[in-house]
Amino acid sequence: MQPYLDGVLSDDEVREAKEHLEDCPGCEKRYRFEVTLRRYVRVAADEQMSPELRAKLAGLRTAG
Amino acid sequence: MSETSSEEARQIAQGARDRVHFEEEALALADQVYRVARGVSRSKEEAEDLMQETYARAFRSWQQYQPGTNLRAWLLRILTNLNIDRGRRLQRQPDVQPLEEGDYFLYNKLESAIGNENADEERVIERLSQNSVVEALAEVPHDFRDVVVLVDIGDFSYADAAQILDIPIGTVMSRLHRGRRVLKSNLAERAVPV
Repeated sequence: MQPYLDGVLSDDEVREAKEHLEDCPGCEKRYRFEVTLRRYVRVAADEQMSPELRAKLAGLRTAG
Repeated sequence: MSETSSEEARQIAQGARDRVHFEEEALALADQVYRVARGVSRSKEEAEDLMQETYARAFRSWQQYQPGTNLRAWLLRILTNLNIDRGRRLQRQPDVQPLEEGDYFLYNKLESAIGNENADEERVIERLSQNSVVEALAEVPHDFRDVVVLVDIGDFSYADAAQILDIPIGTVMSRLHRGRRVLKSNLAERAVPV
């Protein structure tokens, strides 16, 4: 499941995984859960940088 | 002006332009670098310190960067090395986690929390607050967390993550696997019952 989600399988393996997901509601459900969870973690962890930090980083420049 | 010195002047001018260009490119990547910094730090303050140290070092050693290679990976390599140097790694030892629960654990826990076998994924995952995700990630042991953050949040390939952390790809994969399980286990502990 994880290598499939990570997109690291070969074309043949991807085809095999897709065929299995189509035939197996249990795995299909798990698959959708994993996809949704990953997206959720990514969004939850995506905290924007503060404008103060952005300014500080620009202030570290030595050139220009 | 002799030919030699005008050539020297030309090279100096070119070097200055390269440097400006490098700094602009590095700053343009700051949001993406911050996402990883925040993921591997326990607090916002720690992430901000880490960012400043990373950029200070990057600007100092800009000539070590090979133009045309992955600048984002180069910056993150500095960041992860600094993070190791800070000794943060000594502060939290990997705990023994109930890894044997397997991948189904979180799913089953969330599903039973809402008491409906046929609930859709979105609803199940909504039982997790944004804060609980951040906390659950922060509690993943650092070696595993670095890999999870790079691959799942930073969108790096296994190969890039291996290069940044200076570990073999096989280690990236095993840490990723274990890190995701620990994350799920931590999330399961925080699932809110209805």
